[in-house]
Amino acid sequence: MRGSNAVKFFSILLIIGILTWIAAYGSILGFEIPGVKDIRTGIDIQGGVDARLYAVTKDNSKAKAEDLDAARITIGKRLDSKNIFDRVITVDKDKGYILVQIPHKKGEAFDPQKSIEEIGKTALLTFQEVDESKKDANGNYLPTNKIILEGGDVKDATPEVDGENGGYCVSLKLSSEGGKKFSEATGRLIGKPIAIFMDNDLISAPNVQTQITGTSARITLGGTASDEQREEAKNLAGLIKSGSLPFKLEARQVNNISPTLGSNALNVSINAFIVALILICFFMIFYYRLPGLIASIALILHTVMELLALSWTHIIVTLPGIAGLILTIGMAVDANVIIFERIKDELKNGKTLHAAIDVGFKRAFSAVLDSNVTTLISAIVLWKFGTGPIQSFAYTLGIGVVLSFITAVTASRIMLKSIQDIEVAKHHWLYGVSMRGGKANG
Amino acid sequence: MVNLYAKRYYFFILSALIILSGVVMYLVEGFKLDIEFEGGTIIEMRANDKMFTEANTQDLQTKIADFVTNTINKPAKVQKSTSYDVNGTNTKSFDIITISIGSENTLSNTELTKVEEAVVKEFKLNAKDAVVSEESVEPFIGKEIMNNGLKAVVIAFVLIILYVWYRFKAMSGLSAGVFAVVGVLHDLLIMLSVYVIFQIPLNESFIAAILTVVGYSMNDTVIIYDRIRENNRLLRKVPLPELVNSSIIQTLNRSINTVVTSLIAITTVYIFSRVNGINSMEQFSFPLIIGISAGCYSSIFIASPLYVMWKESQKKKKISGKPAKA
Repeated sequence: MRGSNAVKFFSILLIIGILTWIAAYGSILGFEIPGVKDIRTGIDIQGGVDARLYAVTKDNSKAKAEDLDAARITIGKRLDSKNIFDRVITVDKDKGYILVQIPHKKGEAFDPQKSIEEIGKTALLTFQEVDESKKDANGNYLPTNKIILEGGDVKDATPEVDGENGGYCVSLKLSSEGGKKFSEATGRLIGKPIAIFMDNDLISAPNVQTQITGTSARITLGGTASDEQREEAKNLAGLIKSGSLPFKLEARQVNNISPTLGSNALNVSINAFIVALILICFFMIFYYRLPGLIASIALILHTVMELLALSWTHIIVTLPGIAGLILTIGMAVDANVIIFERIKDELKNGKTLHAAIDVGFKRAFSAVLDSNVTTLISAIVLWKFGTGPIQSFAYTLGIGVVLSFITAVTASRIMLKSIQDIEVAKHHWLYGVSMRGGKANG
Repeated sequence: MVNLYAKRYYFFILSALIILSGVVMYLVEGFKLDIEFEGGTIIEMRANDKMFTEANTQDLQTKIADFVTNTINKPAKVQKSTSYDVNGTNTKSFDIITISIGSENTLSNTELTKVEEAVVKEFKLNAKDAVVSEESVEPFIGKEIMNNGLKAVVIAFVLIILYVWYRFKAMSGLSAGVFAVVGVLHDLLIMLSVYVIFQIPLNESFIAAILTVVGYSMNDTVIIYDRIRENNRLLRKVPLPELVNSSIIQTLNRSINTVVTSLIAITTVYIFSRVNGINSMEQFSFPLIIGISAGCYSSIFIASPLYVMWKESQKKKKISGKPAKA
């Protein structure tokens, strides 16, 4: 092996080694890099609940996007107060539903149905007078039940840029009844705070600056405008609106999976993954000998890169996703099969090893490309149209196909070409061609 | 050399038989829809050890079904099955009670809780881990999910066909493109037949399996047509049937091996999920095994012979057309 070839060959092995290390330990030389442990798994593996809460309006009209968003913020706040931070809440504005996914947590007595029911309820929103002596351990005001306004009194709450004080504010529109109550209270409480509660959680306690007459009011956040502050204003507006949303949320699709069922499935599919990987490597080495061994090394690179791709993009991996992962290790070596068969053909036709390897990779490329493009089309369409679990399959399938170009085509070529000059590696037997030559038939 | 082309009608008949049985099954039974598409409720609960015996299974199933029906006033079906706890090398089996309620009676969230609590109490299940899984989908949402999936299949299919058409037209002429597409259609029909014959419920996995097979189906067709083109240049005097036949035989190893590696992967998934009772994976991998095999089969035995038959009939037309003109 000439110097530069040795460098190429061993740098690929080194890359595989480093990536495998990262995947296994999640850190290298003290740097934290997400590895296999950081891969997020779906509720079909972790256990948990997945529900679509549909916004049902009184007159069956379509729920407004900003109202759905307010409901999403409310649900998030409610889950916060239950200490459920690991969750996914997304809004489908066209179809008018909120998708809530809550994975199961170890050692947590968690009743999915009850939580789904609770988080979907209309929030009890109140503006209350404050008793300075009643605070919880964190210094937050506790409810006094001296209620100034209720959810129904607030017609709308929107985040706005505060023209006078800078920064953002939340602008409130009150009903005429609410306006009267608010005017009376703000007249009485100038300089004092008014606490806003959702359910029993304090969400804000602005100070009354002047008496507010009429039906509009403003809660200023002060400070300078920033993205965080805009987000804060949006959240506050959403929470205040939660008491007066013009729809109720109904769970029309619920899927709940116990953690035991999920972890069983995970164990089984990990075993299947390992067995499939070993069998494919055996098959390749048995059938293609030296190139087969190279393909197996490339396949390990493929596997590790795919696992890291899942970990780094925070894609949620589901059972179909794992099936896709396993399927793509079978598909990844397809390119190797096409290329190695071509090399065999060329060797049988009397070409030198150098020429055969060059021609093999060059000639096989278009066939490899075509068969991969069609699979990629399927994966992309599936990603676009599928829901959760199937999207995960689309992702692993798509990534697997793209990575196979890097591993089965590029990495295999570099490795194979860098060892072609070693004396031992020149035996045609190692490429699956008998030394006596013979007619091409394979 | 084996003459595959001469035996082409056997292969056509085999495919036709599979598709025909699919059509017959479709007319008799129709497709089975999963609750994901149809709507309905399925609750799986963990039975106590030794609750079910060989002798009482039938009775107990009926008893639970009647109890559930009385509790919520909606007709329910109950089926016992076996599942496994896989933990390292220890595998423990346990029974699962599956309660299913038809789409027209889909349970609300409150009803779900009511059924589960009542069953736990009445049959003294272990309340802590009684519910293994539950799924409830209202019919109109199921329909929406299904339509969405079918739309995906149509779009992907059209895109793939356009790509194949375009690529093969450039490589081997328009007719090669047409027959490559016929191959893809064949695989699609075989897949649909498998689902209807084995009554595998259609759900989103079905959409994924169909799209995977359609995407993967081109693999071997590409390999064979590539070789036909090359041989065409090298062996100009060899008649087409013989040329195609030898192209198929020459590339047989790689056509089969590409499929074998994918089959090793997906069959492993199938066997593991079947042995351990992981239904969703089993129902996903089985059609994939058939579909991927069909992709290889159709490239070798359907798409290529059809292409030759078409070319030959064109040639005859030209020959028989000439004297008439003269």
